[in-house]
Order: sequence, then C-alpha cells, then structure tokens
Amino acid sequence: MTFLSGLSLVFIPLLFSFVLIYALIKKAPIYDLFIEGAKEGLQTAVEILPFILAIFIGIEGLVSSGAMEWLEHLLAPLFLRLGIPEELISLVLLRPVSGSGSLVLVEEILESAGADSFAGRAASVMAGSCETVFYVLAVYFGVTGVKKIRHSLAAGLAGYVAGVAASVWLCRIL
Amino acid sequence: MMNYIWTFMLLLGIVFAAISGTLGEFSDGLMKSCEEGISFMLGLAGIMAVWSGFMNIAQKTGLIEKISQMAAPFMRLLFSGKIKKETEATILMSFAANLFGAGNSSTVFALRSMELLDRENRHGERASNEMCMFLAVNMSMVQLIPITVIKIRTDAGAAEPGNIILPSLLAGIFSMVVSVTVCKWQERRRGGR
Repeated sequence: MTFLSGLSLVFIPLLFSFVLIYALIKKAPIYDLFIEGAKEGLQTAVEILPFILAIFIGIEGLVSSGAMEWLEHLLAPLFLRLGIPEELISLVLLRPVSGSGSLVLVEEILESAGADSFAGRAASVMAGSCETVFYVLAVYFGVTGVKKIRHSLAAGLAGYVAGVAASVWLCRIL
Repeated sequence: MMNYIWTFMLLLGIVFAAISGTLGEFSDGLMKSCEEGISFMLGLAGIMAVWSGFMNIAQKTGLIEKISQMAAPFMRLLFSGKIKKETEATILMSFAANLFGAGNSSTVFALRSMELLDRENRHGERASNEMCMFLAVNMSMVQLIPITVIKIRTDAGAAEPGNIILPSLLAGIFSMVVSVTVCKWQERRRGGR
C-alpha cells in the first residue's frame, strides 16, 4: 500500500522530469513549446466553461429548490429494497452529476453515521470507485460536434450501477 | 438528449421552488453556482494550461509516439477501429492520470482526446465507436489510491482510513468491466449504423 500511495505522490513530478529531460536530450525549444501548448490548454478551458456552468446551475436548481430531497423520499423504498442504506440515497443520486458536491455529502455521511459504520464505509468506497457519469458526458462531448451520443450513456450508467452495487455488497461482506 | 434533461432539471427546480416557497433560495442558489462554476473553471484552467504545455513538449519531441507504441496492444483490446498515434497517447495519459488520482489532470487529457477523436470523426454529429469506448472507460476508471476519500476519512476520525482502498479497487474494476462490456456489446449490435 505504501508503494501505491508513494506512486500517486510522485506521478506528476516524475512525469514532468521525464518529459523535460527527454526534451533536453533532443535539444528541443522547451520553453517555447510549453507556452504554445499552454495557450491551447487555456482555449480549451474557455470552451468548456459554458458546459460547466450549465451543469452547475442545473444541479443547484434541483438542490436549492428542495426537488432533490423530494426525489430521495420518492426513491427511498426502492433503494432500501435493494439493500442500499438510507444515508446513501442522496449520494447515489448526486455522484453522477457532481464530483465536488458528492464529496461534501460523503463528509456529512461520515460525520453523522460514523466513518467506520456500514453506511460510512459504503459511502467512502462509492466515492472511491464510482465516477461522475453525467458530468463527464456533458462536458467531454461539449468539445466535440457530437449530437447523438449513442451507447455511451448506457455503458456509463451500467458501469455506475455496477459500481454502486459492488460498493454496498463488498462493504457488507468485508 | 441534453436538451430535455437539462430543461427538465431546471423546470423541476422552479416548480418545486414555487410549491415549497423556496423561490428565493432557488435564485440565490443559481447566482452562487455561477460563481462556483467560474472559480472551478479558473482552477482547472491553470492545470490545463500547464499540462497542455508539457504535452506539447512531449509531442513535438516524439516522446508521445514512443509511449503510444508501447501501449498499442492494450489499446487494441479496447478500440477496434484505427486511431491516430497522438490521440492514442492522450487517451493513455488520461487513463494514467485517472489511475493515479490526478483527477483534474485527467480531465485535461480527456478533453484533448475528445477533441482529437472529434477531428478523426470529421466533427460528425454521431459519436464514433472510439469516443463511446473512451468515455465508457473514463466513466468507470479505477483509482489506485482514492486520496481525497482517505483524507476525508482521516478527518472524520476513521480507525483505519485506508481500509476502503481494496474494496474501492474491486468495485472500480467491476464497474469498469461492466461498462466496457456493455459498450462492446452495443458497438457490435449497432456497429454498422
């Protein structure tokens, strides 16, 4: 485990030095190339801004109006039947659309249910293994000309449901 | 499709706010989230510029081509169609960054990959098989060490903050297998169209 966490820490510095040293050997105009690329990166950032804004206000509208809460109540019986603890319902619903929002929820769950409780562990595992499916689709397709996203949604959702199910199940047996 | 989902999200919010008398909170929330969106993007923009800069160095020096040659067998497992070397490399980098928990960096590479795939798709309106597969993997990518979650757990006083690493990894792998399988299956079923 220490090896793995060490690897995560050195990933970026290692990659940077690798690229730089390779470029030095090749005698490339490193600084100019960096500036050129950075310019392009900034352009992409501006390009995705509208999509990010659209998602942010869409979610905030649901949360601040109380519609999200209503949706949770509506779906609670279904989730309980599937063996998903009540505390996790809002997380399961919010995770696909908002990465930062769902992390705040995890904090709240850990605080109220306890970090080592079943719900607390399941929430942690979910946040560590399930991705922001809708967010990814909306933002990533945003830089393309695609209108028909075909089976990408089905694949993403199937993976998400599988991830949630596995998280809950693994926390139950481990 | 986004037309309907997004409109539905907002209208549902407005109707709910009207019924439960939270129209004030609704409007404040919208204004607040605009600010949050901008500051989120500003944070991302810096990382994006830096990574794109480094990627440009790696690409122009031929490093990218070398890396993508090494990863070719793995890529062929996922992508049946042809993709360009440069695209292959950015896809690979996005997976790697995801794996090592560098979420924002991964976003940068993923966006670049999508731009390149879009170019190969001749900016068509229909997503290509490669785009769908790339996103299927991206939306279910495992993370070796979920650093953020572990930090949250440490702050919350967990007895053993790291004891979620293995289950997270397993759940992530399962999610990825399902996602890729569904994608492959759909690709074959509707491949021709």
